[in-house]
Amino acid sequence: MIAVEHLVKQYGRFTAVDDISLDVQPGEIHGFLGPNGAGKTTTLRMIAGLLKPTSGRVVVDGHDVAVEPELAKSSLGFIPDRPFIYEKLTAGEFLRFHAGLYGLDGDGVVDRVHEMLDLFELRRWEHELVESFSHGMKQRLVMCAAFLHRPRAVAVDEPMVGLDPRGARLIKDVFRRMSDRGVAILMSTHTLEVAHEMCHRLSIILKGKIIAQGTVDEIRRLAGGADDHLTSVFLRLTGGSALQELDEAV
Amino acid sequence: MKGAFTYLLLPAIWSSRNRAARRQPGDLTRAFVFAAMGIGVFAALFFAASWVTWQLNGYEELGDYLLRLGLSWIFMTFLAFLTFSGIVTALSTFFLSDDLRLLLTAPIAARRLFYARFARTVAQSSWMVIVFIAPVLLGVGVGRCAPATFYIVSALTIVPFAIIPVAVGTASTLLLVNVFPARRARELLMLMGFLFVGSVVILLRMLRPEQLMRAESLPDLTGFFSTLQSPVTPLLPSFWAGELVFASLKGGWDLMHAGAIWSTALVCCVALRVADERWHFSGYSRSQEAPKARFAHFRGIDRIARILPLSPVRKQLFIKDVKIFLRDVSQWSQLLLLLAMVLVYLYNFRVLDLSRIPYMSGFIKNIYALVNLGMAGFVLATVAVRFVFPMVSAEGRAFWVIRNSPVDMRDFLWSKFWTGLIPVLLLTETLTVAANELLDVEPFLKSVAGVAMLFLSFALVGLATGLGARYPRFTADNPTEVSGSYGGVAFMVVAVLLVIAIIALVGWPSMTYLYYQVRQRPLPAFRLALMGACFLAAMVLTVATGLLGMRSGIRALDAMSN
Repeated sequence: MIAVEHLVKQYGRFTAVDDISLDVQPGEIHGFLGPNGAGKTTTLRMIAGLLKPTSGRVVVDGHDVAVEPELAKSSLGFIPDRPFIYEKLTAGEFLRFHAGLYGLDGDGVVDRVHEMLDLFELRRWEHELVESFSHGMKQRLVMCAAFLHRPRAVAVDEPMVGLDPRGARLIKDVFRRMSDRGVAILMSTHTLEVAHEMCHRLSIILKGKIIAQGTVDEIRRLAGGADDHLTSVFLRLTGGSALQELDEAV
Repeated sequence: MKGAFTYLLLPAIWSSRNRAARRQPGDLTRAFVFAAMGIGVFAALFFAASWVTWQLNGYEELGDYLLRLGLSWIFMTFLAFLTFSGIVTALSTFFLSDDLRLLLTAPIAARRLFYARFARTVAQSSWMVIVFIAPVLLGVGVGRCAPATFYIVSALTIVPFAIIPVAVGTASTLLLVNVFPARRARELLMLMGFLFVGSVVILLRMLRPEQLMRAESLPDLTGFFSTLQSPVTPLLPSFWAGELVFASLKGGWDLMHAGAIWSTALVCCVALRVADERWHFSGYSRSQEAPKARFAHFRGIDRIARILPLSPVRKQLFIKDVKIFLRDVSQWSQLLLLLAMVLVYLYNFRVLDLSRIPYMSGFIKNIYALVNLGMAGFVLATVAVRFVFPMVSAEGRAFWVIRNSPVDMRDFLWSKFWTGLIPVLLLTETLTVAANELLDVEPFLKSVAGVAMLFLSFALVGLATGLGARYPRFTADNPTEVSGSYGGVAFMVVAVLLVIAIIALVGWPSMTYLYYQVRQRPLPAFRLALMGACFLAAMVLTVATGLLGMRSGIRALDAMSN
């Protein structure tokens, strides 16, 4: 559903994303892990059509993002790490506008907006300005917008940042439900527990290259510690084990 | 509707409606003050235009000629402004605007997005021009008792006239963003600013208004008018607009220029759309690299701060404020525009040859010195509201760093005051001294104006800093939003009243002194005492305004911390 083929992004002489390929199947939740500055956000922004790749291609639902951007984008829901929402619109107005961008029309739109607001527990805030929302509420509103047009694939950057435990559980439930309905989800995260708990497969990116790919068990085996916790595996693969030893010593 | 490009303009319309429905304290006062100022400017332009047109009616063919030339010149000036404004606005609307992050991930056709952004660019770039040109054309129409068609043609001319230069400006931005790495955005904007300043100065040089003051050039009147006409080339849209409006003023139709202006506007739109569809995404993608832009370290500022006799806290606040200001690109373009205005202002004094007016030159010169003091005062108020007033708000969401540290709010605000005062004082003193030097006014008046400006700067910078702390807007997106807030408007009202009061308090004793000096009579003791009282009152008023403003700001910050 989301296919990334030999994707490269260079900023001058600096290569942020270096020839990466990955494939997210329908119904799969694919975790995209890596330390800060590894190239996760750059990759997701290229998938969403916000950045032009230096080379390589991105295909969403069979449509090349560079060749058929409108068709590719209409199948994709994107949840960025720093989302933009019009602060002076109410939650309802923002979602109705968003629906219009994706060509949703007619009486069904209002019902769908209400359905999403109910799902993300924002219904009572429908007529409030976005500027009065907390960070977590804004995050949930962006997710409402991303799932509003029933996308077949979703790319999400750090979905759990700033959410309280209840909000985090809600998001996990929604993602699982969407995955059960066949939606492909590519999720970048720092929270290894979330990746462990939710993802069917993982890709670990370091300095712009994918260094490991597979299920949690496959990655454990690859790192040479079959019974290790995912944190230890991640640190070993990304060269952060010394940090963990220091942490344990402290 | 949802497929039309206008759908993409809805958030702006809904946001405005919501903003109007949920008024904040002071919004009504601000709206009232702005409306009053707007009506005042509109009325002044309307009456000036109708009076000049009425006067020209008496000169038959020469009057017609001058009116026609004047219209072309008005359109020519606005053409330059619109082109520059188009470049700067397009950089924001097409490449840097936050909502593009939302719109570009949605399945919107490139063409639809282009038309929405271009409509927004044209509206944002040209509203001010329309606000200025509408009363002028209305005044010309009334002065000439023009037929109704004149007003219809004028309205229909302004639309393509605004589209053409804004399209050229947008195309320049599209080209620049694709050619230069976006990380050089700062240099890019500075270049644009300098280009604009250069074009304004060249335009003035070509106009040579000083010739009007030379009696000996009067026999060569045709030469003077040909100088005026030279830049008004028939190839520019400003000429077509001028001709079109002038023809309708005489009750006729100029279909050739109407065709030229409308077809050019259409071609500009289509050509720009094709270019945008081809190069916008690559330009936008490059602009995402902006956070990694090169920046200057300004190590000289650290060295200056080390020398200054300041406490460590004030030293670090000074370094932070100056570096942030200099690294903020958005500040530069406005500063350059301001410098262009100052250059034009000083240039006018340089070419003003008052010695050609017999008997009156000395008197007019000294009157001009007071006018100059007033003008410099208003420039000072404008600079203070734009650059000093938002200084506390500019701390933004990082204000917690100051509030959580053991920094006395008095120290914090006085540091802001001195950071603002020094550049403002340099600017206004240069303006006052240079203009008075160019006019060669009396030494006594030069000194009075210089000292008055020193005190006025102290007062207005203190008031701006204090009120900026009393009415902060830490969540504002840009300093302009802070300047236009309730506190900013309140500051402007007080500042204008103070400038008028100071001119009155300084002007009367100065003129009295000159009156007795010209007649070579000694000043009576009573007059001398009154003069001293006026100067003292001006000093007390300015010092009190500055100190009270600062005290009010410190109290507000302390209350915030408690």
